[in-house]
Amino acid sequence: MNYTKQIQDIASQLFAEGKIDVFVGYRLNGFDDNQVPVLIKDPQDVHKLVFTDKSVFNLVNYLKTDHTRRKRVGLVVKGCDSRSLNLMLTENQVKRENIYVVGICCEGVTDDAGQKMQNCVDCMVPDAVVSDELLGTASGADTLTYKMNADVAALSNIPLTERAAYFEEVFENCIRCNACRHSCPLCYCAKCCIDQETATLYNGANTTSAAFHALMTWSLHLAGRCVDCRNCEKACPSHLPLHLLHKQNESVIFENFQEHLAGVIPEDRGAFYKYSLKDPDDFIM
Amino acid sequence: MEKLLIPMICKVDKVIQETPDIRTYRLKFREEGMMDTFTYLPGQFVEFSLLGSGECTFCIASSATRKGYFDCSIKKAGVVTADIHSSLEEGDEVGIRGPFGNWFPLEDIKGKNLLFVGGGIGLAPLRSLIQYCIDNRGDYKDFTILYGARTSSDMCYKDEIKEWQDNPSLKVVLTIDRPEDTWTSNVGVVPKILEEVVKPVIENTKVITCGPPIMIKYTIQSLLKLGFADKDIITTLEMKMQCGLGKCGRCNIGSTYVCKDGPVFTNEQLKSLPDEF
Amino acid sequence: MSFSTFVTDKAGLQKFYEAIMASQETYAPVEKFGKFDFKRVSALAECDPESPIAKTMSIKPLFFPRTAKVMKFVATSAGTDVSEVDEDPLAVKRVILGVKHCDARSLQVLDKVYNWDYIDTDYQNRRQNTVIISTRCDKADTHCFCTSLDYDVENLDAMDILVVHGTDGKEYIKARTEKGNELLSSDVTRHASPVTEEITAPVLKSQYASFAASFRLKMNYKEVNEKLSKIFDTPEFENVSGNCVSCNTCAFVCPTCHCFKISDEKIKDTGVRYKSYDSCNNGYFTLMAGGHNPRPAKYRRWRQRAMHKFVYYKERFGENLCVGCGKCTISCPVNISIFEVVNQVSAAAMQE
Repeated sequence: MNYTKQIQDIASQLFAEGKIDVFVGYRLNGFDDNQVPVLIKDPQDVHKLVFTDKSVFNLVNYLKTDHTRRKRVGLVVKGCDSRSLNLMLTENQVKRENIYVVGICCEGVTDDAGQKMQNCVDCMVPDAVVSDELLGTASGADTLTYKMNADVAALSNIPLTERAAYFEEVFENCIRCNACRHSCPLCYCAKCCIDQETATLYNGANTTSAAFHALMTWSLHLAGRCVDCRNCEKACPSHLPLHLLHKQNESVIFENFQEHLAGVIPEDRGAFYKYSLKDPDDFIM
Repeated sequence: MEKLLIPMICKVDKVIQETPDIRTYRLKFREEGMMDTFTYLPGQFVEFSLLGSGECTFCIASSATRKGYFDCSIKKAGVVTADIHSSLEEGDEVGIRGPFGNWFPLEDIKGKNLLFVGGGIGLAPLRSLIQYCIDNRGDYKDFTILYGARTSSDMCYKDEIKEWQDNPSLKVVLTIDRPEDTWTSNVGVVPKILEEVVKPVIENTKVITCGPPIMIKYTIQSLLKLGFADKDIITTLEMKMQCGLGKCGRCNIGSTYVCKDGPVFTNEQLKSLPDEF
Repeated sequence: MSFSTFVTDKAGLQKFYEAIMASQETYAPVEKFGKFDFKRVSALAECDPESPIAKTMSIKPLFFPRTAKVMKFVATSAGTDVSEVDEDPLAVKRVILGVKHCDARSLQVLDKVYNWDYIDTDYQNRRQNTVIISTRCDKADTHCFCTSLDYDVENLDAMDILVVHGTDGKEYIKARTEKGNELLSSDVTRHASPVTEEITAPVLKSQYASFAASFRLKMNYKEVNEKLSKIFDTPEFENVSGNCVSCNTCAFVCPTCHCFKISDEKIKDTGVRYKSYDSCNNGYFTLMAGGHNPRPAKYRRWRQRAMHKFVYYKERFGENLCVGCGKCTISCPVNISIFEVVNQVSAAAMQE
């Protein structure tokens, strides 16, 4: 997967036509094949742009910063990224006309070790669902079959006490830096109830119980919204398996809310925003 | 560190509602004799805890020359101050750590004319020095207080201001931002009144100013325009603080710790700091 | 004064570690979710003193815990009372194994801020009661630049005991302080034999030479200090901070970042006051109750971070607030490198 040339051309043209103020893409970090997100403001820097299977970070995150707010933005999105963009649009965080979306039909990105990322193995929507221009060959899959995450499946098979002990270990290793919340493209709230400083429900202390409450609250705010881009796991300095929380929520919601999958359908307000008489309530914690 | 962060307990002796959103809390240490060992100088601050809500930084608004108590004037601004206003009454107990920080240059201002320029809650740190100077009135020459507030009801220390006005050795100039029916004194922002009404003597005068950041900015501009030297303009900075001990890093402006090297600075010192306050 | 040095083989080094674990309260890197954090251990099988630098958290939390209880309190309408918390679990006599040089060095940097003016006695107690055993790395990681900073990595005295994997295949255990010497003179070294300075010095030197040659990153910190100190207003800070997502993880993993916040937790009438980490990259770090914020924009906060590390702390305490461990870069979700940032900004300053 390499769309470097195409993206550079698109960006150049957008700048030449005066359609954008800033282009958000990836560049090489300068010493190995890993990449760094880059915000290009000067058309002369367009040659820095690249796109390969190392273009991992979900760039929709940058739509919540001052660098892109009230500006016209060119943006590269993979399948999962495009779903989060869809949600940003639905939730009125950005205006569609301000964003020129370069969609990718993604073949999966790789981690530091060169292995395909777990979320790409589980990926159900590889093609960008919102775009002005689509690069690559669409996977063509029409019907959505839910792919259960192997870790979640494995965990749901072990006894509750062991599961509790496992999660206790997860929360014990949380250092409450809130990098997960800040790197999440959909955590756009200026003030969050889990932020230490503004915390009214939980203080900033790094105790297991505070971590439990903060992470659980956070993951429930993302239930039915999380697109499994794994920005949070990339940011977590303790390498916590945060996807377990999100994927568990996702599978429950898919099963109980008419096969809802976050951000796939434009204007779909998400599982928790709509009410249906058909919704069962037997899964509620 | 942890031990240094444990406050001492004070009892609220009196609550004075200064304005709709400012209250003065008169505090006394619960422990007998603590009040005598609690020595401080005008300009210093304390860390004030409403246990359970959190800790806030307030300057001491009274002078140690008035024995037996100290005052903190608190404006309702954030979460903790709102809690203080809604729940802290006479007889309640609070935690106090301090005093911290430096103080007004008491030696430098001796024998000088003094001009105090305050705005809103900014009169609180000045009041500490004003009381101190009134109690040592012989050490100073002309004594002028210019105080401005948004409206007449937003003026703090109304009773005390009356006392100052009645004191023949002080000159008090008051102003409010917009005209009011019952208001007979000046109307206009502080820098304007400073230039047009006070018209201070520049020679041998020290100016001590405190107020909202925007007022300080324009007041300093006016003072410089009038011909004051940077070293004769003294102000006290507001900065977010938490430990007060030069450790938590919050009050850093460049390599300066406001909690240790400040909060009192001359304009000369401020000019050497990065523009981040 | 000369301190003792011992030589042994790989098995002997393991026995040395085991002997320490058997006789002392020991902390060492323990793996959890693919990341090593320093935890209390009792057997070598639980930990890895040779944990890879890129996956190891700093030892800072053992001296400056992520969360420390400041006090307990009772606040009712009848009255208020505060009381000290129970014994500090980190102030007991202990040994820390598998510490990297950069981590050991970070404590010397932190000593400066904790020992000026008000002395932080808790930190002091933890420092005094701890013996640090540091293993010198054989190879630098991608983001390491410790040798480029203002300390002599080869002759560092921040650790009490130095362990070096000699180029001759032997393991050298060298005391660097009185505390370390005392520990080595006990029977923990029964599987090693004493060795003279004449023999160890050349081996250590050649090991250091091959280590120092493995660095990808090199810089002249004096130049960086000087240039940065003059360019507060450069727009370059806006460029380099553009892709930062303000997640703050850099500050939380940094071995020298020491900013903290104080927060209360109260349930009914009783509560606890905590002191926990905070980061200057947080938008609310300097936000005052009235709404005034001296550093509202991201680039200002980034500038504060870079300048505090390479200018302000140096001005105040004579040290860079950076030990070149690369932890911030490794943890950064968007791979921003502090090395790259300070060099890029100072290079841009040259052009202006």
